[in-house]
Amino acid sequence: MISFEPSEDQQLIVSTVAEFAKTTLAPREREFEKARGLPADVRKAAQEMGLAGALVPEALGGQGLGLLTALLINEELAYGSASAVYALPGFGAFFLAALELGSDEQAGALLAPYLAPEAHDRFGAVAWSEKAPNRDGPGFVTTAKKTADGWELVGQKSFIGNARLADTFIVFAQVDAKAGWSGIGAFVVRKDNPGLKVGPRHDTLGLECAEFGEITLESAKVSASDRLDGRGDFTAATLRFFTKYSLLIAARQVGLARSAFDIAREYCDIRKAFGKPIGHFQAIAFTLADRHIDAESARDMCRRAAWAWDAGKDEKLALLWSAQAIAHSHEVAMRCSDDAVQLHGGAGFMRDVIVEKQMRDAKQIALTGATAEQMDQLAAALEIGGPLDPALVLPTPETQAVFT
Amino acid sequence: MIEFELNGTQRMLRDALSDLGKNVIRPNSLAWDRKKEIDLDFLRTFYNMSQAMKGDTNPMEDFQEGTSAKRDPTKPVQTNRTAAVGAETLAWADASIMLSLPGAGLGGPPVRASGTPEQKERFFSIFRDMSQELRWGAYGLTEPGAGSDVAAIRTSCRKEGDHYVLNGRKCYITCGGRASWVVIFATVDPKLGRAGHRAFVVEKGTPGFFVGKIEDKLGLRANETAELVLEDCHVPADNLLGGEEKYQTKEGFMTAMKTFDNTRPLVAAMACGIGRAAYEYARDFVKDNYVLGRPIPRYSAIAEKLARVNRGLEAARMLVWKAVWMADHHIPNAKEASMSKAAAGQAAIRACIDSIEICGAHGSLATDHALLEKWFRDIKVYDIFEGTGQIQRVVISKRLLSNLKAF
Repeated sequence: MISFEPSEDQQLIVSTVAEFAKTTLAPREREFEKARGLPADVRKAAQEMGLAGALVPEALGGQGLGLLTALLINEELAYGSASAVYALPGFGAFFLAALELGSDEQAGALLAPYLAPEAHDRFGAVAWSEKAPNRDGPGFVTTAKKTADGWELVGQKSFIGNARLADTFIVFAQVDAKAGWSGIGAFVVRKDNPGLKVGPRHDTLGLECAEFGEITLESAKVSASDRLDGRGDFTAATLRFFTKYSLLIAARQVGLARSAFDIAREYCDIRKAFGKPIGHFQAIAFTLADRHIDAESARDMCRRAAWAWDAGKDEKLALLWSAQAIAHSHEVAMRCSDDAVQLHGGAGFMRDVIVEKQMRDAKQIALTGATAEQMDQLAAALEIGGPLDPALVLPTPETQAVFT
Repeated sequence: MIEFELNGTQRMLRDALSDLGKNVIRPNSLAWDRKKEIDLDFLRTFYNMSQAMKGDTNPMEDFQEGTSAKRDPTKPVQTNRTAAVGAETLAWADASIMLSLPGAGLGGPPVRASGTPEQKERFFSIFRDMSQELRWGAYGLTEPGAGSDVAAIRTSCRKEGDHYVLNGRKCYITCGGRASWVVIFATVDPKLGRAGHRAFVVEKGTPGFFVGKIEDKLGLRANETAELVLEDCHVPADNLLGGEEKYQTKEGFMTAMKTFDNTRPLVAAMACGIGRAAYEYARDFVKDNYVLGRPIPRYSAIAEKLARVNRGLEAARMLVWKAVWMADHHIPNAKEASMSKAAAGQAAIRACIDSIEICGAHGSLATDHALLEKWFRDIKVYDIFEGTGQIQRVVISKRLLSNLKAF
């Protein structure tokens, strides 16, 4: 059946999270921005709500609510503060990477420390991107070499969310240089590894809550069991990881877009010019109508994609719908936040109003996970058919590097 | 629960119409376009087929009044969702068919919404058995001087004994020439605005009621668009839709508008269908004709164009589904109906334009790849009829902003 109504459980979760976003996140957005991170009390409150385990299957110690419910939660949180979601446990790249790339046993062990009620101070991270492309051929510059009892990693990784806070990293590196993008692997590197150096934090356009940074691996040794093999098909698992993670990010863009739209709409109701509210001019009203169409369509595209994953639909269809939803949501969030600033006129440019921050955040969010351009190439590749070349469908740093 | 699965009937309908589209409709589509007429034999066969599927699940219900079962207004139905699936698929095959289907057409909704029981029986009964002769109804609102601004209609009506005398011209009337009756909107006094509006069912053969010119159009050429002329046309008072008392309020105008809340998402669904047809054609053209094995840099630009077209159509389809889902649950959906129409019209036009672009010169040939050229012509009107894209934005923004009555 075609139905747009969330289940009763979902409605309850959404209203609880929306209340948290409204009372705790939204009013403190500027405070978070200034602190360049999410204060412990907020993270604690989120952890107590059990948000961390929403996505994790019950068998692995989570609540097993599924991707769609996680998506609804992400949207509502981002309606309050999109930036804050990046500093909350549960929905980050680390959780998705552990679930998709690790075996059940590995994922359970990797995630358990973050599910505990007192784990609000713990972070995991995914190290994917590198600052410069590999000039010797396709693949990462960072290498993983086999040793007698495991692997040795050498290289530098960038654009890593929570890099300075994380105690566990999932690091992507080149295992087989000749195999190009089909020859990559993922490894668990812990903070106490003597070969791991955490670099300075990146100073960024927006998303101040997310501690983006870099790490250097100087012969970092890990054991054989620290390799995550993607349950057999590593490329497919990596693609699933990026797609599902990016879908949750798309939901954040939808939340941000809705919020920017609501703020702009309200302003157009009260701001007067030429003797009437500016919303009563067609140029303004039609802009609002278009942005409303944008936000609403992006929202339901995301929901359909998440539903497809949860319902176990054909993976190519789930990937296609996800790619479409992600690309659309990134563009929509940019348009909605841009127009929210525009409709405020000069006032929108000032930091008294939150829309300028939403505009900065939207741009940067569009570079976390896979980008719209990358997702369009994935969607086209799925539609045109043939094998999915990892060099094309993964967000490799040869063209647009992405934050994870 | 949030889900996006077609039910059994909808899947069956989609598959049946797809097959029919591929094997019967599309092979004839160009010939119908060129001779500006869909074969009556085909329409009769199609009508008989759809009769076999009547009831709550009849996708053509809105277009074939008289076949629909009585509904319990408190219970959700599937009708609108099923109709959207049917409309999209049929338009994917050929959009002109949808508009040329025998039955009450756009005339159905106002009669159903405002007609007295006697009128409903009288006007819908002629569609009940069309095995011998196909019949159509039509909807006459637009005039040469009143399009989007429907309140500005000038067609006049005055009472004379047990008749009304109508004078004026109606234009761009779908199936207007062949219709057995047309719902005609007229005014008792233009100064009264909407309050002066009256809706009449004017039957073919009524003295003073003529078919004017049959229009020559950019697209949807196989579908008849007619001008109607009313010269001292004597319409029985019994044909005043809903009877005299219905017009003590603004009801007359509301009757005209109510039609659109139900039909706009279906028109949007049709646009999605045409857009999808063009997109699939371009996608398959790329697969079959381009040397994808060679690393030609321009291919990624084509890939991106294809992806953008496709996701634009998917976004519109989500809005369509949302609007019809609301209609099925009896939730007011004027805003959502307009959103779906505004988005689908634009997305599908984009799809048709870009699909030709992707195919290059081949795409504009009216011989080898003629369907693409036809869809390009057919789609434009989807951002115009049933309210232009601009009017949709008026409807939407009135529901977004406070105290916005008019611009």
